[in-house]
Parts: sequence; structure tokens; C-alpha cells
Amino acid sequence: MAATTAALRDPAPAAAAALTFPRPIFATVAPHPFLQAHLAAPQPSKAPLRANSRTAHEFRRVGINTGSLTHCNGSAVVRLGNTSAVCGVRAEILDEAHVQATADFAPSTGNETEEDAERERDEMESLRLLVPNVELSTGSTPQHIPGNAPSSFAQTLITRVRSLLLSTSLVRLSDLRILYAPPSNPDGLDAEPEPQLKGYWVLYIDIFYISIDGNAFDAAWAAILAALKNSVIPHAFWDEDLETILCSDDPSEAHSLTLRGLPVPSTFAVFEGKHDWNESGEAEEADWVLSDPDAFEETVCRESVCVVVDCTVGNKGTKDGILKSLEKSGGDVVDRDAMKGLVKRAVDRWAEVEKATNTKP
Amino acid sequence: MAANTDRRRINAPSGGTSAPVFAKPVKEYGYLQSLRPNRTRGPDELRKTFLQTGVVPSASGSAYLEVPTTTTSSQPSLIPPTSSLKIAASIQGPKPLPRSAPFSPTLVLTTTVKFAPFATRYRRGYIRDSAERDLGVHLETALRGVIIGERWPKSGVEVVITILEGDEDTWWGDSKAEGGAGSGWGLLNVLAGCITVASAAIMDAGIDCVDMVAGGVAAITGDGQKVLDPCPAEHQDIVAACAVGYLASRDEITELWLKGEVGADPDTLIEGATHAAMGSVSVLREVLLENIETKTKAAKEGSKRKLEDVEMTG
Repeated sequence: MAATTAALRDPAPAAAAALTFPRPIFATVAPHPFLQAHLAAPQPSKAPLRANSRTAHEFRRVGINTGSLTHCNGSAVVRLGNTSAVCGVRAEILDEAHVQATADFAPSTGNETEEDAERERDEMESLRLLVPNVELSTGSTPQHIPGNAPSSFAQTLITRVRSLLLSTSLVRLSDLRILYAPPSNPDGLDAEPEPQLKGYWVLYIDIFYISIDGNAFDAAWAAILAALKNSVIPHAFWDEDLETILCSDDPSEAHSLTLRGLPVPSTFAVFEGKHDWNESGEAEEADWVLSDPDAFEETVCRESVCVVVDCTVGNKGTKDGILKSLEKSGGDVVDRDAMKGLVKRAVDRWAEVEKATNTKP
Repeated sequence: MAANTDRRRINAPSGGTSAPVFAKPVKEYGYLQSLRPNRTRGPDELRKTFLQTGVVPSASGSAYLEVPTTTTSSQPSLIPPTSSLKIAASIQGPKPLPRSAPFSPTLVLTTTVKFAPFATRYRRGYIRDSAERDLGVHLETALRGVIIGERWPKSGVEVVITILEGDEDTWWGDSKAEGGAGSGWGLLNVLAGCITVASAAIMDAGIDCVDMVAGGVAAITGDGQKVLDPCPAEHQDIVAACAVGYLASRDEITELWLKGEVGADPDTLIEGATHAAMGSVSVLREVLLENIETKTKAAKEGSKRKLEDVEMTG
């Protein structure tokens, strides 16, 4: 509202000149032509810039800061331009007696097969060992005012995060099991006593957004990755005298989580240029695929693509990547060829994020 | 804890989980007491405060406050000795009230205080509990006294406070039963932090105020000593504490929260809290200056950028 009144109050320029608006007012009144004018601006020397002065292929720089929260096993603060998220990982113990579905405990054989991973995934999912949640109502955007139940956006976001956590098998079950090796075999045989399962670690992964300016998913995932990498799980053991699980507070006995690979999502938004808006009347194809959209771009783009790649498997860096997940919704602009290009862009992004997660602050 | 499921969130295992119990404090006599933190500051010395405005670009005003912990544990241990205070505040508005809302001649202030689940030693829930609602009401009282509400009729403003890490009520080693009357000291510190950070955010939002309100806490320990800015974990025997929302240049108090057995003379305690608030005021003043400097600089650069921009008409 304020924008339009300000425009009316502006003294009208000479009659010959067309009606002009200041930048923020143009963006508010006509967001679509505003972004199109930016992208279609004839700049022969360089690539067209978006309204946030990035090129269409340019991602925002990731800034990661880990280990700042006292009461967490692992934590991270991630900044993606004006989007910033805090992720705290907290480990609590699920006693074996409280496990409802008694899954058969199979000790890992050391060499992993695809089947093992599948079984692990099922066990983690049925026991709910990973509990991610997001909070958007922290005043991070005007759209999410506290006092309401989680919006559908928040629910979609957390479901996507959880399914990616499970489908990539990022966390190893062996890191979460609490085993007990009895000193002697109860059967009285000389055979080596079998380790017993006494409980699990449950990881509560909470993401709080301080500020949201588009691309909440990538920020959330980067925060989770960094926080999990930073996590330290205390050494837990079964105490025979007290008949309970106790932990050692000695940092040298604790172990960190060994993650499976490093899947990195890259989100793209497709901006469909309006042909009729072009005054010249030339029906030129004008669609742009924007990397890492901000909040303003998300409002004018319908189609979005999310590509998750992981290049750690072959140890060849960006030359050998695995596509972990692909999501696309809202339109039909991105075809098979365009998708290939997007995967390439996602692989380039992977290298950037990998560098950011590996550098210690 | 276990039975109620929340359909809109991811739920924990239905059997319930428990926080890890560390073996050494349970088994070794004396180890627990060796971990007890002690106050190394003088009784009038405040903890250092970090305050920054403009952390949420999409909000009209925002601020972040951090009071780092001063105690460092002597032994390496995974058990954190004391917690620090980390609070983020964001202001949405003032904006017009929805059509359905009744007419209001003044600004409608809504304050929400929420702890993050990882803010305290014991995990917090996702839905606001009574302590958080109580803090919200106290904060609202503190802010209502400074904002000139008549200048914003028919509008509302949301003050949203997120506590990423909060002060503890007692030292973790003292069991809750022993604490008895001592519970709830940490909330006073949190309230004082909330008042200061909300004040900075309001200032960043440019909402008209009569003065800057700042929070401060003072406490009386068992031996009758008055301490400013107490960290409850460092004092075993707090008998009374007081948090104020203080307007320094008008010498007024908008919010007063006093707990415990004060004795015959509550004035010294309240005065102590206002002294602590003066410390926050000096931080607020510096941040205000910084804020104005960056804003004027941004305005200058903004006009420069205009010239480079693409001409757009429509």
C-alpha cells in the first residue's frame, strides 16, 4: 500500500516521458515485468543480471559456522545470502525396552552391501531414530507469524528433509547403536560372547530460521550437513550394577558421526518470460533457469527443480558424481536437455558447498 | 511426553527417549562438586554483551544478543559447565490490522517468546509452554511503557523473540528438589536479555519511543551480598533476584519482576538491577550509533546504484 501512495505523491515528470517508478515500487507493483526487464536488458558485454545483481547461473555464497551452541551434540549456523538458519543436533537415548517393533539385530559385517543399507534404512525409519523439525515462525519472514500451527510450507519442507535424510542413508546405524559385550558367555561355552543391543541414540535435528530470503531447503540441508559433521556422540555403555545405560563424559572416548557421502541439493527456479509484454512483438523464447532463487524470485516463478548430487563416491571430485534425488514441479519448461545442464550446474555447486563444509571456522 | 503425537511435525519414537546420564558424576564421589562453576567476576562486574541489529533483512527491525559464558571448565568434559545467553528478536510491522480486528486507537503490540528445543539442558517442546507465555507478557509490559502507541492507530506490530540458548535456573548438578525456592532464576536473566534485544530491534525498526528501555538483573545471595548480573549456575544460594526494564534518561521503570525473600529492604535490590541495566544501556547506545551510521552510508550508496541501473518504464 505504502508503495503506491508514494508513487502517486511523486511529482509527475514531463508529459513526454513515460511513467517511471523507483525500483522498489516497480518491483512491488509489477514483479514479473520487473524481473524480465532485468534479465532481458541488452548488455552485450556481460551476462544479464537478475534484480539481486547475480547472473542466472550464480549461487549465493555459503557461510558455515559450527559448534556454537552449548547444549547440542553438534550445531551449525548457515548463511546463504540473506537466508540464515541455525541447526542443533541433540542425541538422546532410546532404551531397548521401549523399542516397540523389535527389529532383529544383525551385527554389521564390515563390508557393506546394498542390501544392508536397505535394511538399515528400514530400521531407522521404523524406529524413528532421526527426528528433524523446522521452525519458520521466528519472525524470519512476514508470512510466518507465530501462534499458528506449522504451515503447509513448513510441513512440506520438513517432509522433504526427512525423506532425503533417509533415502541418502546419511547417518550410519552403527553410529547410533548402543551395544553391550557381556564379559562371559551366559551359556558357559568358550565361544566369544555375542554383543547385545541395549539401546539406540536418537538424533533430534532442529532447524531454526533466523531469516528467510528464498531457498529455505538448501539452507536447511547445508545446516544439517554441517551440524551432523560437527556432532560428537558420547561413549555409551551398559552398566551392570545400575542396569542402565550410562555415558562417559570424556571427550577422547566420544565418537563423531561418519556420514555416508555428502549429498548437496541445488534448487533452481524457472522464470517464464511473458512474450506479449515485449513491445516489439517478436515471439522470442524467453525462459531463464535461475540458480538459488531468493524470496522475490520465488514469488514470480512457478516451476522449480531440485537436484541432489554427491561426488564423494569415486573420490574424483566433480568429475564423478552420483545423482541422489531429483524433484521437479510446477511446469514443463525444463526438458531432458535442460535437465542435463542443471545437473552440471548442481555438480559445480557441490564443489563450492563441499569446500565450505570442510573449512574449519 | 510420549503419547501425544503431533500430526504436523516429525515425532520422536513413541517409547520416549531420555537424556544421556553421565557415569562419572554418578559413580565417583566428589567429581560432581569439582565441576561446579564459580563466579570469577566481581560482584558489580557485568558479563560482556554482544549486540547487533539488522540480522533479519525482511523484517522491519531485528537484533541479536549474545552474552557469552565466562566460566571455562578446568577438566575436559562433554558436560557444558554453564550456558550462555543467545537471543534473536525480529519486529514485523507496524502494519494495518486485519479488517476483522476491532478498532484500536493505539498500536497493538504482540510479543511472542519461544525457546528453541536445544536452548536448555533439557529439551524444550515445540508448542509454547506457560513459562514462555509468562515471559511474553512481562516483555509486553516492559515495551508498552516506551512505545508511543498513539502515533500508530489501527496498526499492529509483532515482536518475535527466539531464544537459541537460555540461562539455567540452577547449576545442573544441584537436583531440582534441593533447589526448591531457587527455581526460575534463569528466567529473570532471559527476560532482561529479551528486553534489551527487543529494545534494539524496535530502535532498528524506527518505531517512536520515549526512551530506550534496557534490562538488568541483580540478586541477593545467602550471605546477604548483592550481585549484579548473576549467572544462576555460579551461585548456589540465591535468595532473591530482581529483573527490571529501565529507562535510563527518564529514570523510570516499566517492568519489575522480583522473586524470592527480599527481606526488609527491596530498594537496594531494585537499585542494583537498574545499575545492571545501565550497562545494557551503554551497549544499546553504541549499537544505535552504529546502526545510524550504516543506514546513512547505505542511503548514499543506494543513490549511486540508481545511476547504474537499467532504465525501466512500463
